[in-house]
Amino acid sequence: MSGFWSTVFNAEFVFAIFRITAPILFAALGAIIAEKAGVTNIGLDGMMSIAALFGTLISYWTQSWLVGVLGAVLVGMVLGLMMGFFALRLRTDIILTGIAINMLGGGGTIFLLYMFTGLRGNTSSLSSSNILIPTVKIPLLKDIPVLGSILSGHAVLTYLAFILVFVVRFMLNRTSTGLNIRAVGENSNAARSVGISVKRVQYIALIMSGALAGLGGAFMSMYYSQSWNVGMIAGRGFIALAAEAMGRGQPVGAMLSSLIFGFAQALETRVSGIQGVSSFLVAAIPYLVTIIGLVVFVWSSKRKADKRRRQISTSDGE
Amino acid sequence: MYKRRMVVFNILRGLAAIILALAVAAIFIFLASDEPFEALKQLLIAPLVNFRGESAAFNVQSLYQILALMIPTMFTGLGVCVMFSADMFNLGGEGAVMAGGFVASLIAIYVPMPAGVHPVVAVLVGTLVGGLVTLIPALLRVKVGASEMVSSLMFNYVVMYIIMHYLNNVFADRSKGSTQSFPFIETAKIPQLVTGGSRLTYGFLIALVFVVITAIFMYRTRWGYQVRMIGVNPNFAKYSGMNVASTLILAQFIGGLLSGMGGAIEVLGRYNTFLWKELPGYGWTGITIAILARNNPAFVPFAAFFLAYLDRGCQLMSTHSDVPSEMIAIIQAAIFLFFAAEQFLSGARQKLVVKNAQDELAAMEAKTVQEGK
Repeated sequence: MSGFWSTVFNAEFVFAIFRITAPILFAALGAIIAEKAGVTNIGLDGMMSIAALFGTLISYWTQSWLVGVLGAVLVGMVLGLMMGFFALRLRTDIILTGIAINMLGGGGTIFLLYMFTGLRGNTSSLSSSNILIPTVKIPLLKDIPVLGSILSGHAVLTYLAFILVFVVRFMLNRTSTGLNIRAVGENSNAARSVGISVKRVQYIALIMSGALAGLGGAFMSMYYSQSWNVGMIAGRGFIALAAEAMGRGQPVGAMLSSLIFGFAQALETRVSGIQGVSSFLVAAIPYLVTIIGLVVFVWSSKRKADKRRRQISTSDGE
Repeated sequence: MYKRRMVVFNILRGLAAIILALAVAAIFIFLASDEPFEALKQLLIAPLVNFRGESAAFNVQSLYQILALMIPTMFTGLGVCVMFSADMFNLGGEGAVMAGGFVASLIAIYVPMPAGVHPVVAVLVGTLVGGLVTLIPALLRVKVGASEMVSSLMFNYVVMYIIMHYLNNVFADRSKGSTQSFPFIETAKIPQLVTGGSRLTYGFLIALVFVVITAIFMYRTRWGYQVRMIGVNPNFAKYSGMNVASTLILAQFIGGLLSGMGGAIEVLGRYNTFLWKELPGYGWTGITIAILARNNPAFVPFAAFFLAYLDRGCQLMSTHSDVPSEMIAIIQAAIFLFFAAEQFLSGARQKLVVKNAQDELAAMEAKTVQEGK
């Protein structure tokens, strides 16, 4: 049994957790910004898929990974703008708008891939190592035993994902844009009464949300899977929504929730190789963990709120 | 007068949305294809018209195939109508379809029964399992407050992997090259309605019966009224004494039952063995149908026919031209976005309202002038 534990839980395993967490974290941050502005972005999954496709294609055309990533971000932003146009301008229900984006991310990407390249279903024939997102070995840190092999050698975007947690937190809590976003989400009428353009703020939030989904998509196709294929996002955009809910809309909370998911999936890839373990049941674990996590967190926050209310009512009685 | 004008306006507006969506599709076809006119012909005309050289004839078999495609999506469409009417975005229809189909298959394979009873029992059990799949997110929402949208989406994946586990590791027919179950017992199959390979079964008639039942439920019963009222205004429903929680749960359960039934009937009618390896996608089509039908069960068959027609058109287009059948996703998304857009053609509606007001004013003035004489 000790052999089992040492093959599953080691430095490599912890490294994998960070790698798996990064794309979900990008999307979860996107979910937070949109949700804070009062628009639920259920289209994250489709946005990631479409951006992932264009990231691969643009990096192939330009033979530059950086342009590919930027292209994916731009595509994400355009999709955010498109969601804004339909949801805010034409008043399509925001949930339905998101579902439409997800449809485009499903079958639509297969069509787009064919339209641009004539390929069907995947881009593995286009990929080469020079257009993948590079990894960085951090000087000094990489020489520390264990810690070095966990924290050094990740892709540029992995580090970026964790840095962005604090950038997004700063943006939401310390900048006027963030204040406007939160004001609109809390009470759009109050925000309007002090002269904030609610629509404009929601447009901005959706575009930022799209940009983050774009980064998540680029990470998936240009590093994680090394090429784009149908269904590669596998519900990560939805898991990001769950991470947002579990983290109660806070960037750091969402990071921790995303790490829980990353852990579950890293475990899945580890355990599924072992004889006698059903790879299918193991594959269900991350989704099950997400449901359980969501329920536990919502339930506990509700209990806390109830407790606070009771305290207030008893102190009133005195 | 005003009401009739608005009805006509809404119909025209829906048509405009559909035409716009097809125009978007046409643009993409022109961008993607070397033979766009052939592709468009296959997409729009070929589903019902058979071309042989210069002559064209009505294609009955193809019509049957379109009707057969409607069977599962009518059920999921009805299910979504009920669920979304209560303003709950339960997206578990997908999982309910697959679970219903799988469990019905197991009964069709392993539990011998007399011919008439077998499919009925298999479908009913599949129906119940489908109901359970959407019941869980509904309970989590009502009892705990967890978003039914997120939990139902996650639950779809859980359901899919559990089914894949059992299909691969327990019930697989190892003599076959691909992953599939053992064949159904003949008695369990749902009989064909017409001859030929169209797979148009009695399931189609059952679906139509359920259109009527669901329409009666939604518009002629107390429960249906409560479901709709909660969707319109939950606070009003609550303060007028309705039990909102149990009505919400009931609506989601019914939605799952319908989806599960659709999955079971589809599997037992179309195939000889269970061979779905991923979520079949009927749940999502059901959402599009519910939107086109504006959550009204009576319109579901028309919406389902329209989408089945496009689906068949896309299949033909990918067979006979160079455009992939996934085109359907782009058309569906475009329909979704324009059809559900409240402000689409709002300028025209505004003009209509103003014109009505002016007409009424003119009529009133004419009346007062007459009375003044």
